[in-house]
Order: sequence, then structure tokens, then C-alpha cells
Amino acid sequence: MLQKKICMLGGFAVGKTSLVRRFVQSIFSENYLTTVGVKIDKKSVAFPDKTVDLILWDLAGEDDIGSFRVSYVRGATGLVLVADGTRPATLAVALTLRERCEAEFGAMPFILLFNKSDLTDRWAVPEGEIDELKQRGWQIYLTSALSGEHVDDAFRQLASMVAN
Amino acid sequence: MSSLPKEVRSWIYDFFSNERFAAYLMIDTRQCIEAKGGNLDFYGLSSLRLGESVAQQLEFMEGLLPCPELPFHMPMMELPGGHVADLHFFGDGDSVWLVFLDATPERDHQQRLQQKAYEMTLLQERERQLNAKLQSTNEALRESQEGLSREYRRAESLLLNILPASIAERLKADEQIADNHAEVSVLFADIVGFTERARSVGATTTLAILNYFFRAADLLSEQHGCEKIKTIGDCVMAVAGLPVARPDHAHALAHYALELREAARCERFAGEPLSLRIGIHSGPIVAGVIGKRRFVYDLWGDTVNLAARIQKAAEPDEIRISDATHQLLGPEFACEPLGETELRGTGRVRMWRL
Repeated sequence: MLQKKICMLGGFAVGKTSLVRRFVQSIFSENYLTTVGVKIDKKSVAFPDKTVDLILWDLAGEDDIGSFRVSYVRGATGLVLVADGTRPATLAVALTLRERCEAEFGAMPFILLFNKSDLTDRWAVPEGEIDELKQRGWQIYLTSALSGEHVDDAFRQLASMVAN
Repeated sequence: MSSLPKEVRSWIYDFFSNERFAAYLMIDTRQCIEAKGGNLDFYGLSSLRLGESVAQQLEFMEGLLPCPELPFHMPMMELPGGHVADLHFFGDGDSVWLVFLDATPERDHQQRLQQKAYEMTLLQERERQLNAKLQSTNEALRESQEGLSREYRRAESLLLNILPASIAERLKADEQIADNHAEVSVLFADIVGFTERARSVGATTTLAILNYFFRAADLLSEQHGCEKIKTIGDCVMAVAGLPVARPDHAHALAHYALELREAARCERFAGEPLSLRIGIHSGPIVAGVIGKRRFVYDLWGDTVNLAARIQKAAEPDEIRISDATHQLLGPEFACEPLGETELRGTGRVRMWRL
């Protein structure tokens, strides 16, 4: 059985837990409940030739990157970087967390999600900036844990990246 | 540990095993569970099978072993049963021990604090965002207001160029403008020999001459409280007693005529002093604005027609006035009678030279 550890990384309140709940249980709650420590979820992604079990590590978000425990990431084969599209500063947090993981455990596949795409009137990430990041060859998705938009696509993409 | 008295060691043992629900797994080199014990039931892990892969039974173990840096501590992991454990890994020969200690109360406590802190931070961030948005909206509003008032002033000044101020005000209030004025004086003035001279000096010079003449007419109308109504070719039409009535309209326009003639004389046109032919008549007229998109403020009535005819009859450099105007002027102005003259469409008219 193909089983892969994936870590959800990003600042606090960007929607990591909500994205996992949407992907694994297809539910969404408006209530914000902060995560402390880590919670593990599992979801199988089926491809024509194989099935990959994603072991999703929903790590606590940080407001102080210095307190991030990089040891949680040991053994991970992929990262889900999550930024909040209504809070532009959260992009830098997600990218810094990725750098810290890579420094410790080496490069690994990742996807970058700009979450809360349903909040169009508060959206604060210019399209040009996203295009620029895509130019680097990054897999980027505008997701909504509320509506489910692009959530399955994104995780499926990462599953195919780590399965090879 | 051996330096601690037996009582203390025993208390520590009881504390971890009871208060913190200590449980353990022993994992062999094949990463299978070799032994298990303690409060595994508390964590929902009592069904773990010995001799089988730990990663296949405990998902969080995927990728963790072999771990090069033992002992290894992973705090606050929420386990399937809902309890939260601190995980401690340590090595023992070829085997790895994994100890579970309950951290649910600490997690819950930390979560309560963190929830408040993050909610507060989010509110502050949102407040900053809203303030920034408000500020930029205000800025944009102020800019568009400035643009609007710039445009308004421009429109205003354009309107004032073609209409008297009081008429412009009424027009802006959407009033229909057609006013009877019983007592006004109307003046026409044109340039003597304009057509021939214009041909001889060329368009540029001619335009400069016309510009000089019309500017003088504008300037003087401001000085004397008259209104320049329009220009027709090389001819200027001006009026006094409009849009606000004044008893001395004939006097004002007579002064206007004298100074306009003086101003003309200072300029040369095709080698000779610029000379005008001026005619004035006084009486009732109708004044109004016609047009919807391009406004024209104009005067109508016999008084206007007669003033134009008198002007046409005037000699070069002459200011010719009607009998009506002469009577209004009184003895203050030296006037020379011209006798009765036949004017087209009007019959015989008595006129004076100012």
C-alpha cells in the first residue's frame, strides 16, 4: 500500500484545518478553532494505476515562525503551503516555512494554495503576483474550503506528484 | 534516576503511569511492533497487533523511522480516540521505544489562550485593512471631487465667456430666458474697408487686427458695464442696460463708443490707422437664450435692426446715434445734427453725430 506523509504549512487562520476537513470529510464550519500541536487525517486518492493514501499532518499555524517545530515534518514526502488570499502577508509566512523544512529535510514536492477565494470583495493578492509565482513552475491553486472550489484538484495534484 | 530516593522514584512512576496515562510501544528494526503496554486503551490503541508494521497501523508513524536523532520528542499529537499525547522516542540497542504521555489538558489550555490571541490579532489585522481601504476610498473620493470642481470651474468660465453672469446663473437653474427690456442702448461697430484691406495684408495680419479690435471691445465693455453680445464678421454688437437695467445706458454706451474709436486709432491696418463706423440706437428689445446645446444669448427687436442700419449709414470714424439716443444723452455730450436720412426698411430717420 502506497502511503505518503504530507504536511500542511502556513500562518495561523489561513484555513489549513478547514481545507483538510473539506478534502477528507467534505464539510466546512464557519467557526474558527485554532489548532494546537498536530492532528492526523488520512484520505485515499485513486489513480488508474494505483491508489495513494495521503497521511495529512495538520500542523498548528504560527504567528511567530521562530516557534515552528520543524521536527513534525520528519518523514514527509510533500507539503501543502497555505496562504490566505485576503491577508497578503501570509504568503511570506508559508514560503518561509517551506524554506525551513527544505533546509532540514531537503527539497520535496509542494503545492501552494491561496485559500478563501470565496471572499472576493476582500481578496488582496494581485493576479500578476500569482502569475509570477506560476512562472517558476509552481503548482498554485485558488481554493475555497467553504465552497470546496479547487480543493480536490489541488490535493489530487500533490498526490500524483508524491506518488512518483 | 538512581540518585533519587525510592519514594520519589515511586511517586514519579505513579504520576506518569496514572496521571499522564503512560503507554509504550517497542519497535524493532523491521519497524514492526515488538512489544506494547501501559494505558494504550486510553489512546484508542489497544488493538495494535504485535509483529506487524507500525506505520500500517499507526498512520503518524509513516516516514518517521528510522530516526537518526534519538531521543526525539513530538509534542501534542491528537490521536484517533480524541486524546492528545506527547510522543517520546528513544533508542535501546536496535529497538526504538515510543512512550505516550497524556497532554490533553495542556493542549486544551494552550488552545484557549491561543484562540483568544489569534482572534485578537485577526481583528486587529482586519481593522487595519478596513482603515487602509477607508483611507484610499476617501483619497479617491477627494480626487474625483477635485476633478469635478475643476471641470465645473472650467465649464463655468466657458459659459461666462459667452453669456452674461446673471443669465448663466438662470440658465443653470434651467430657466427659459426671454426677457423684455424697455430701455437699452444697442451699438454696432465695424472696421472701415475691412474686406479690401484684409485681402491686401493677408489672413494672419487680419486675424491679429480682428483680435485686437474684439479684445478692446471686450475690455471696454467690462470697464463701462456694457455687454458685448456677439461679433459678426468684423462687426461688434454691444448693449448697455442689460441684463440689469440702468437709467444711464445711453451715457455708458456713448463713452464705450468714444473709447472704442480711440482704441482703434492706436492700431494700424494696412498702413493706415484702424478706423471704425459706429452706430447707436436706444429703445426696447427682447433678450434671450436660444439653443439647447450651444447657447447663444442674443437681442431681438426693431431697436436692434435700426441700430444696425444707423451703423451702416455712418461715415468712417463717425459715431452716429439715433434721435432717441440723443435725447437720452442730453446736453452732456456734444452732438452735431445730421438731418433726416432715408434708411432702408425704416423710412426717414433723424440722426446725430457724437
